[in-house]
This record gives sequence, structure tokens and C-alpha cells, in this order.
Amino acid sequence: MKVGFVGLGRMGQAIAGRILGAGHDLVVFNRTAEKASELAKAGARVASSVAGACEGREVVITMLTDDAALREVTLNPGGLRDSISAGAIHLTMGTHSAGAIQELAAVHARANQVLAAAPVLGRPDMAASGQLGIVAAGPADALQKCEPLFQVMGRRTFHAGAKPEHSIAIKLANNFLLGCAIGSMAEGFSLVRKYGVVPQVFYEVMTESLFAAPAYKVYGKIMVDESYDKVGFTTLLGLKDFNLIMAAADMARVPLPSGNAFRDRLLGAVAHGNGEKDWSVAAREQARASGLE
Amino acid sequence: MNVGFIGLGRMGKGMASRILSGGHDLVVYDVVPQATAEFAQSGARVASSVADVCKDREVVITMLAEDFAVHEVAFGSGGMCASLPPGAIHMAMGTYGIATIRALETAHAGANQILLAVPVLGRPDLAATGQLGIVPAGPEEALKRCEPLFQVIARRVFHAGPKPESASAIKLANNAVLGCAITAMGEAFSLIRKYGVEPQVLYDVMSEGLFAGAPAYVGYGKTMVDETYDKVGSPVTIGLKDANLIAAAANIARVPMPSHDVYIERLLGAMANGDGDRDQAVLAREQARASGLE
Repeated sequence: MKVGFVGLGRMGQAIAGRILGAGHDLVVFNRTAEKASELAKAGARVASSVAGACEGREVVITMLTDDAALREVTLNPGGLRDSISAGAIHLTMGTHSAGAIQELAAVHARANQVLAAAPVLGRPDMAASGQLGIVAAGPADALQKCEPLFQVMGRRTFHAGAKPEHSIAIKLANNFLLGCAIGSMAEGFSLVRKYGVVPQVFYEVMTESLFAAPAYKVYGKIMVDESYDKVGFTTLLGLKDFNLIMAAADMARVPLPSGNAFRDRLLGAVAHGNGEKDWSVAAREQARASGLE
Repeated sequence: MNVGFIGLGRMGKGMASRILSGGHDLVVYDVVPQATAEFAQSGARVASSVADVCKDREVVITMLAEDFAVHEVAFGSGGMCASLPPGAIHMAMGTYGIATIRALETAHAGANQILLAVPVLGRPDLAATGQLGIVPAGPEEALKRCEPLFQVIARRVFHAGPKPESASAIKLANNAVLGCAITAMGEAFSLIRKYGVEPQVLYDVMSEGLFAGAPAYVGYGKTMVDETYDKVGSPVTIGLKDANLIAAAANIARVPMPSHDVYIERLLGAMANGDGDRDQAVLAREQARASGLE
């Protein structure tokens, strides 16, 4: 397939590498050009503009960190709206707001183009080995065209529905559950600590029974070890995601009281200077609220 | 060992029969006489009162559903404090509140007896096969004496420390995390439903990803997808009873638990709307109601 790729952060580079490795014709663009050098060595053509990455492409993938970057790349003069062919697909793979995705779907539809959204589940190392989970949504024929790409990127594709925002809702709901798991574990650890329990014991009780899952094992361990400086996902990024979640809930009129509680913990953690630490530092914030720090 | 056992409900039955088949000398007691029938047949002695079940016992286990029941059994006239021999152990295995555990500890100490708190993790089927997790806490010497009992009751022993209330705190905190997980799942399902997504998709994403292998998500999530709230594992009423114990423990220790507060509100709402006897997964329906979906 003829594929364009815009946004070569850690995830983007890894995903683009998989596409190239599978033999697709790949053109890449990144605002910071150095980030394209590895891919160039591996045989990708490097475009000098967004428009250059769109020309003659069947699919252009964007993997951008926020809504602002996505809007800029799509709507600015020479952006995807102006540059991708009629009938071509814009496939967004970043975690964006439901609102932005709805808005851009309408923009592309007016230009006779198609928007599909396929946010990913997993870390950059999983992206590099093609082990991501992919949550795909959009018009069925567009998703079918993208299927060969999903196959080289991911271990498993979850089809969320016919509207691009369907996959956004799933991705945000999954992140929401993770955040709430972190928030409630934090409360559990503070409670047992106040009763003189060694945190490790509570960790074992949780992870050897009801909560024998990666979310609890990974983040519970960080809380036990208080190794918040080994950052998987920062508090600030967590806060960004929770703001997207609460905005999506607001649009759909869904009260999320657990989400509000956790978002407040994240805000407190940022207020206390822990914005760049791993977001499980919410446990320290909870401990502080409990008079333990 | 010479063991007494008070409280032969669904959990107690399974645990007591493990002790009996482990070769221990067992005396049982329950306020409902029929509950003891099968034990008489399989070789246990059936006591006629709490005082009777305490006679000559090294350990007496209580497995009762409510704090008030253990209060009555321990502090009533002819109760355990009055009847246990000096040096004997009261092993409290129900999920009791912190204040109750502290009161029992003090009263038993005053009578020269010992309290251990040993709450259990697992369902009646696991109790019957000796596959429970147990969380013992109390004086080390007493724990050591009870080790042979732990071995026949449990697959895994999590030692919580020398203070009985430490074990209660762990059990309550574990329940709190479960309640929060159920609540959060309810919220997540409402969110995606409002965007027109099939609940099964979120279930697949969570149960094959971050939450793979966790019975809390795999089990309760499935009940939410199928809306089979009438197949009751743990009903809302029991959830609320435990949640109130958790809130009380948090209050005593001065720990704000905002996520758990949300869980209590949802439990109350479910009861107010007539879902008290349904499975706790019905909190997803309560959340859906709050979101204008029902």
C-alpha cells in the first residue's frame, strides 16, 4: 500500500518501522526532521512537508500527542484536508478527544475524504515488535482497506464501530479504568499503612486473587517500592488523558464520579511538583491527604 | 487440636468440614440447629450453647456474618469471654469492623485469652476444598499454634502482623479496591454506550489487556455485559454492609477515600431503586440510570 505517516515520536517511529518492514511504500514527515533519519536509512522516503507526505497516498496515518497538533496538521493550509486525494483515508492513531475526532470526520467528509480512528493500546516496545492492541473505528470499507496495516502493527484489532469516535470512547474508557484502579489502590495502601500493615502484604493479597492483572501488578509494585522516578507514563500525561475523558463524558452527559476523584488526585500530585513522575505517584498524593507523608 | 467452631453458614460449613477431615477434635455450634446436623453425622460433637462449645477448647473459631453477632457471642452472658479457658484463642474469621476487633482484643486480654483476626479471601466452593486465601494477624506465638489449622483451611497464608486489626484492614482494603473496580467499570460502560459502542468491545479490550487474569474484571464485567444481575454472587446489601465497615475503618484511621465514597453512593442508589438483592454488578445499571440510559 501507499502509506503516508505524520508524527514520528517514539510510538510513531516504531509503528512506521513495522509498516516499512512489511514492504509497504512509505513516506514520512516529522516537524523535527532528525526523527525521520532511522526510517530513511531503512528505505522510507522523507517528505519535506505534510503535503509531501500526502501526495498519491491511499492512507495517511497521524500519530500526534494532542488535539492541537492534530488540528494543525489537518486543517492548516497544505494540511491533510488540502492534500490527501479524494477517497483517501486519514487514519488517526493518537489519543484524541471525541470532540476533535467528530469535527475532523465532518471536515474530511466534506472534502470527499475518509477519517478513521485507531488508537493503540501498549507501549513503544510493543509497537516495535508489532504487539500492540488496536481499537479501530470508521466506515467499514475504509477499515477493510487498512486491515493489512493493522495486521503488521498489532497483535489484536478490536473493531469498535462505524463512527471514528467509537474507538476514542473505548480507548478513553480503558484509560479511565486504569486510572481508577490506580486511584483505588492508592486509597487501599493508605488505609492499610495506617493500620500498621507492610504494603507488600497488601500487594500480594490483591495480585494473587481478585486483581491478578497487569494493571494492578505493575502499578501496585511501583507504589510498594515508591519508585515513582522510573516513569512509564507521567502524571501530566495522565491528567491530559483524564481531561479528555471528562470532556467526552461531558459531551455524552455521563457523570463519572470515580473519574472526578482520580482527576483531583492527579491535580494534587501536579500541584505538589510530581507532574513528571509516574502517575502512580497518585498514591503519594493520597498518602499526603491521609497525613502519612 | 481441640477446636470449637461457631457459625456454620455457607463459608463456615466448608471450613469446619476441612478442620474435621484434617483429623482435629471438633465441636460445633450454630444458633440454627439444622446447620449442625451434617457435622453430627461426620463425627463432630454438637454443642448446646456458646459456653459449651468453648469448654476445653484450645481454639474457638467464629465465622459470623455481622459485627453484632460476634459481639453477642463474645460478650453475652455465657459468651466466649466468660467461657474460654485461660490461654485459649478466639480466631475471628468473619469480616468484622476495626472497632469490633479492638473491643474483642481488649476483652479477651482482660480474661487472659488471645484474639487472632484471620479474615478469608474466597467463596464457599473454595472454602469446601481448602483453597481459601487467609490473612492472619495477632501475637506470633498464638499464630504458630494455629498453623495446623491454617494448613487445612487455606491454599495461601498472608501474614499481616502482630496486631489483629492489621488483618482486618487488609481484608477491608481489598474489598474497597473491588468495590471501586465495580463502580469504575459501571462508569466506563455507561460512557461507551452513550457513544453507541457495544459493551462487549470494552469487555474484550479490558479483559484481554490491562485487566487480563483479574477475576474482579473478568467476572463482574461479564455480568454487566450480559446484564445477568439476578445470578447473585455477592448482593448489593452485603456490599453495603462491608462498605460501611470500610468507611468506619477509614474514619477511625483518618483516611479520606473519595473513590470508595463513590462506591457507597452507588450502592445506596441501587438499594433505593430496588436492586438491593441483586448482584453488585448491578451498580452498572445504577450508573446507567444516572447517565439517562435506563
